[in-house]
Amino acid sequence: MPLGILLALVVGGIAGITLLLHITGKSRVHVLTPEAASTQWLRHFPDDAVIDVTVTHDGHAALVRTKAGPGLLWSFGADTVARYLLDCTQHAHPDGLAIRFRDFSAPYVILHLDETERRHWHNLMDPL
Amino acid sequence: MTDHIAFPDAVQWAVPFFIAAILAEFLWIALKGRGGRYETRDAVTSLIMGAGNIASGFLLGFIAYGFFMWLWQITPLDLGTSIPVIMLCFVLDDLRYYWVHRFGHRVRWVWASHVNHHSSQHYNLTTALRQTWTYTFTFMMVVRAPLILLGFHPAMVLFVGGLNLIYQFWIHTEAITKMPRWFEAVMNTPSHHRAHHGRNARYLDCNYAGVFIIWDKLFGTFVPEQEHDRVDYGLVHNIGTFNPLRVAFHEWVSIWRDITQPKLSLRHRLAYCFAPPGYSHDGSRNSSAQIKANHLARNPEDRGTPGFEQFGPKPADQSTKQA
Repeated sequence: MPLGILLALVVGGIAGITLLLHITGKSRVHVLTPEAASTQWLRHFPDDAVIDVTVTHDGHAALVRTKAGPGLLWSFGADTVARYLLDCTQHAHPDGLAIRFRDFSAPYVILHLDETERRHWHNLMDPL
Repeated sequence: MTDHIAFPDAVQWAVPFFIAAILAEFLWIALKGRGGRYETRDAVTSLIMGAGNIASGFLLGFIAYGFFMWLWQITPLDLGTSIPVIMLCFVLDDLRYYWVHRFGHRVRWVWASHVNHHSSQHYNLTTALRQTWTYTFTFMMVVRAPLILLGFHPAMVLFVGGLNLIYQFWIHTEAITKMPRWFEAVMNTPSHHRAHHGRNARYLDCNYAGVFIIWDKLFGTFVPEQEHDRVDYGLVHNIGTFNPLRVAFHEWVSIWRDITQPKLSLRHRLAYCFAPPGYSHDGSRNSSAQIKANHLARNPEDRGTPGFEQFGPKPADQSTKQA
């Protein structure tokens, strides 16, 4: 196939499918409840046991205290990703808090926290 | 010895079909309200990975092709390009695919390339296009050497390899539940391949087939999809990025970080490269066998069921045998 046509097909195909998905509402982010966060944590770490869960007001992240240690679960598109809060640092961010992991496959998460939450989460994560 | 034989690049010619089929699957899901799900950034990442795979073929394909042409120069055999030879080449190349794919899950060096194909938590036709950019660095092209030394022309071998990949495109869907029984018995199908993409303990390291599922049945790696154990797609440790560069290279970076840890023996460093994924020198990570064993500790009723046969029969069966 001529390179020009292949390039046009690939670029046009990606752009068209992206637009179609976005305008049909497929860019919505997963919203967590405490129960859903607990279930999702156990999906990621089935050998663990959840002690309690704190979900952000926007439902896009949850701090999960577990038998194996504290962890962060966050919305990742229509799904979730979870990491233990072991090899990470926390930084202030205009929207709330930024967590940086030493993990090339999950480098950072920005937590959207209001002022009250910010203090609460800071205390919850302080031992880190 | 025939040097100049031209076969079309089947994968490139299939690009319009890929786009049309993705649109058809999306429409089907929208109309029926079942049969899979799409998410914008996940799908875009998969599509960009597919485009990057074609680009990497342009940039690095000469390495494998040069190696194949060198083999072609030294082999005294030439089977020609008749239709039966092409069909035989297709079947043998599918056997080659089975083993490369199995190495791709059991050797971390090869997994580093293949992992990105499993990195989506979705399973739709765009997932089929989430392909590696780094296959050349796995050196798995050597597994094709016997075919060329047997007298199959390199251009034909690459052509049937392209057909193999095109076949595998349509099985990345939840829109098709089961094919007719005879087809499920012989061919790789959406049901068999869904199980392959599962991160559930039951489905780890199963169904490596490309076109013919018979290879898995022959080599003991077949696990049928179970209605009561719905497939959970993705990786044991799911990635948290849609950045295609991170998707393409994250496992290579992990290998680098592991082998450059201080105070490791050479054996440990080599094991971090070539042992099955999940290896760690201090036992801090779980292999697929350990994940299955942990699952059975929590769910002993699953012992002896598909995907857990290697751990022995169910406790009830054991007592019957002992009695």
